[in-house]
Amino acid sequence: MSINRREFIKANAVAAAAAVAGVSVPAIASNLITSSDITKLKWDKAPCRFCGTGCSVNVGVMDGKVVATHGDIKSPVNKGLNCVKGYFLSKIMYGKDRLTTPLLRMTNGKYDKEGEFTPISWDQAFDIMAEKAKETLKKSGPTAVGMFGSGQWTVQEGYAAVKLYKAGFRSNNIDPNARHCMASAVGGFMRTFGIDEPMGCYDDLEAADAFVLWGSNMAEMHPILWTRLTDRRLSAPHVKVAVLSTFEHRSFDLADNGMIFTPQTDLAILNYIAHYIISTGRVNKDFVNKHTNFRLGETDIGYGLRPEHPLEQKAKNNGKSKGSSTPIDFDEYAKFVSTYTVEYTSKLSGVPEHKLEALAELYADPKIKVTSFWTMGFNQHTRGVWANNLVYNIHLLTGKISTPGNSPFSLTGQPSACGTAREVGTFSHRLPADMVVTNPKHRAIAEKIWDLPEGTIPAKPGYHAVLQNRMLKDGKLNFYWVQCNNNMQAAANINEEAYPGYRNPKNFIVVSDPYPTVTAQAADLILPTAMWVEKEGVYGNAERRTQSWYQMVEAPTGAKSDLWQLVEFSKRFAIEDVWPEELIAKKPEVRGKTLYDVLFQNPSVAKFSLDEIPDERLNDESRDFGFYIQKGLFEEYASFGRGHAHDLAPYDRYHKERGLRWPVVNGKETKWRFKEGSDPYVKPGSGWDFYGHKDGRAIIFALPYEPPAESPDEEYDLWLSTGRVLEHWHSGSMTQRVPELYKAMPDALVYMHPDDAKSRGMRRGDLVKLISRRGEVQTRVETRGRNKPPVGLVYMPWFDASRLVNKVTLDATDPLSKQTDYKKCAIKIVKV
Amino acid sequence: MKDLKLVSIAGLIALLSTLFLAPILTSFTVHAADKAERNTVATLRDHTEIDSQKEPNPIPKVINNDIKKARNYPMQPPVIPHTIRSYEVNKYNNKCMSCHSRHRTEKSQAPMVSVTHFMNRDGNFLAEISPRRYFCNQCHVTQLDAEPLVENTFIDMHSLMKQKTANTTEH
Amino acid sequence: MTQSSNSQTSEYHVASLIASCILAQVDEVKAAILAVDDTEIHVTSAEGKIVFTIEGTSHKDIGKKMDILRVHTGILNLSPVYHQVLDESVDDDATKQ
Repeated sequence: MSINRREFIKANAVAAAAAVAGVSVPAIASNLITSSDITKLKWDKAPCRFCGTGCSVNVGVMDGKVVATHGDIKSPVNKGLNCVKGYFLSKIMYGKDRLTTPLLRMTNGKYDKEGEFTPISWDQAFDIMAEKAKETLKKSGPTAVGMFGSGQWTVQEGYAAVKLYKAGFRSNNIDPNARHCMASAVGGFMRTFGIDEPMGCYDDLEAADAFVLWGSNMAEMHPILWTRLTDRRLSAPHVKVAVLSTFEHRSFDLADNGMIFTPQTDLAILNYIAHYIISTGRVNKDFVNKHTNFRLGETDIGYGLRPEHPLEQKAKNNGKSKGSSTPIDFDEYAKFVSTYTVEYTSKLSGVPEHKLEALAELYADPKIKVTSFWTMGFNQHTRGVWANNLVYNIHLLTGKISTPGNSPFSLTGQPSACGTAREVGTFSHRLPADMVVTNPKHRAIAEKIWDLPEGTIPAKPGYHAVLQNRMLKDGKLNFYWVQCNNNMQAAANINEEAYPGYRNPKNFIVVSDPYPTVTAQAADLILPTAMWVEKEGVYGNAERRTQSWYQMVEAPTGAKSDLWQLVEFSKRFAIEDVWPEELIAKKPEVRGKTLYDVLFQNPSVAKFSLDEIPDERLNDESRDFGFYIQKGLFEEYASFGRGHAHDLAPYDRYHKERGLRWPVVNGKETKWRFKEGSDPYVKPGSGWDFYGHKDGRAIIFALPYEPPAESPDEEYDLWLSTGRVLEHWHSGSMTQRVPELYKAMPDALVYMHPDDAKSRGMRRGDLVKLISRRGEVQTRVETRGRNKPPVGLVYMPWFDASRLVNKVTLDATDPLSKQTDYKKCAIKIVKV
Repeated sequence: MKDLKLVSIAGLIALLSTLFLAPILTSFTVHAADKAERNTVATLRDHTEIDSQKEPNPIPKVINNDIKKARNYPMQPPVIPHTIRSYEVNKYNNKCMSCHSRHRTEKSQAPMVSVTHFMNRDGNFLAEISPRRYFCNQCHVTQLDAEPLVENTFIDMHSLMKQKTANTTEH
Repeated sequence: MTQSSNSQTSEYHVASLIASCILAQVDEVKAAILAVDDTEIHVTSAEGKIVFTIEGTSHKDIGKKMDILRVHTGILNLSPVYHQVLDESVDDDATKQ
């Protein structure tokens, strides 16, 4: 049989147009596409594997392989577009070094921490894992076992992991890599509004008159949202774009007002804007009186370093009181911000006065609908929660919130940082639906839904991401499982903390990944993992949009999804191995059962039969366990939030939709929360209702500028900022294996101002060493690249596994959110 | 020069084919050798321990030969086969469109942007490039002359079909 | 405009489009589409959306054919959906009949 290639592509073209027109595929197309085995191409929808934008893509499968992907024209997020990474999704699963068998460090056929990676079976892998976990639990108790998870886990995977750790092992030492990414945003939302995640949605992009980017390079990190912002700016000439950053980047290409500020002084600029609004008489008094309270926050809260660090010794309020605040009134607040004059702020930040005034006017002018976007510039900040609080202040003072185009909008980094890390509550202090382990009522709710005896979930928060590495190094965390992230490349200060921690002879480290990453290299046991459309799952994006996908292809033989690994591993534990007798006595029927029986194979999770999965659909996990596990986990998880302003639709509906924005009430999604008319949870007649707080009011916080943890000095004379690039997703473990993306951006260079290079006798391409007090990394100088740092600051991305910039960075965190500040530390650069 | 004559023709061919294949094979032969010795998994780190670092290679040059590269699938945005150094694409200027826009392609002989680029968010057709497609470098990237660290085994649909056609005709 | 630039290509272009029409004029629009070279109508929806393809030899060729239709008074909106180019000079064996 032969193929007419022209007809084949014509049929594809017709199929695409028919789909857009909403008509069934005409015979010519469907015959060509489906009647012949040879040309059989099956299209299905999935959310993109990469960033928090949450684009939907169509995935084309032929013969069990993904052969094509393109932007889903039906998705309201991306309307047919993708960025360059998204367009190359088809190739991310096909790097030649996919892992297909567990690898254990062994010498002479036995596990040896210093041994060589040796292929073993899954059975052997779970044997040694279970042995090490049980040994650790017996010797040191639940606080010595831990897990580092991901905002790239599916909702079901994150939920299964939380159950396994918080209920099964009774350890709160589970944290996601979203700690590096969104923790400050969470802290900001919880503190100001009492409920997590943005009130607005992407529809703000077509409604705003002005956009302000605070430490967000959307052009590279949220490219599709950037296309929407660009579309708006270029289609409506009155629209203005202001961009603030510590260095010039691609988003400045569209800026009407581009501002480079000295690191950390964004705090002062935010307070200056509040002062400007007040001093020019543009406070929306009616809104402020009805819907806000004012509070003065605790100051001098330290930098989240190890307690013996001089900065922590010096800090007055880095103990329990650091998140506290006291009520104040409007006049006290006005007085507090009045010291942030334009002169003072301009001098501190280095931003010219007229630029600051133009920026402040965008917020102050009641006729301008303004949307603020921020990502890692705010969140990776030793005062990240404060920065979030302060930007809400200016939206609240003007009442520019929760209406189309008026939107303080925290952009999420990862595809399911919202859906999995935050909503499921995979943080060391959280439970699903914004609940926390420290609250006995919240624990009781979780124990009831999970059908556990009272007192199963420990009340004390576990180790957060940065603390996990410190505790590994100190030998207090001994059984450690890493899934779906690459923390040996991503964590700050790996020389002093992560690497010695993983290699500490007291510890057993398991890393699950599709590919051999830097983290896998540091592990004792590597588990080969299925990825993306090799499994079924759900992601939740930055605008509260929950999206699902079906498994479309088989994983390479031997690779298993994170979900399968978590649930299968639970079979290895009898309840008696993990729970003390007094807990078991409260619920004797669990005696003799395994964790698998108690947590997963139970009437709640296992109630949906395989019949609910369409016959032609793959679903390796469900068919292995014997029930529709993704649906069971999702529905049980959803029961936490239904009726509590976190409502999700029935699982099956997500397979039909291009996602829905929660809360989904009476089948309808919610676009703008807290506003009467668009949010069903708002009390009628209130106008706005910030129902996360009992009195329905949001909080305006008085918080000052405080200096960063480390600033350049005579010896370490440059600021270092790290970050991402357009062409690579995070640590590059997927995108560095796509030849086109690799060749577009093969190596992480250090971007420098030409004068800084010149004064050090360097030229573009020179081999240099970046040295901090903690370590060094070698790379080449770039003086004319896409990033243009000011004199005194350099930028080096972290995607490059061969040039680990995090050997240099400082593990200072926001003491409130525990999120690392990757944007500022002091280094020197020398020629090699 | 005289030595060259001693090389047999067959030898020359072998030598040439080695040279030709060298860039493709280098990384894998190196890996294989290392693997046999140390069984390392550090494929993106050239098999280097985490606490050490190999000397970074020089910055590769942008491929600038203007030869179109085949696409992996129809919807893939073509890569840019030329350098774009100092191309300005900002809100005042779009240097790319000075060759690739519809009314310039006759003179420039550059490929015109695809018709899909004239569609706005709602699917309506515009007379000019849609502003949502304005920043070309969100999808189109140059290629540097760097050898991929790991081979990719992706097979495009036409190769798959061809394989199958070959198989069916054999039977 | 000269015609010369089209002749040298060995490219095959196909674009699929949707024409949204005034219902009363669907037949008229259909006729107008078919009057353009290398067009084919594949399906028409009850709401008056016509899914059709244009084939040609260059981007410009497709663009010109579209321009002929774009001004038709019966068409409310003409949306190109998909456009693919087959470079037949480099890859010939797949097109053998």
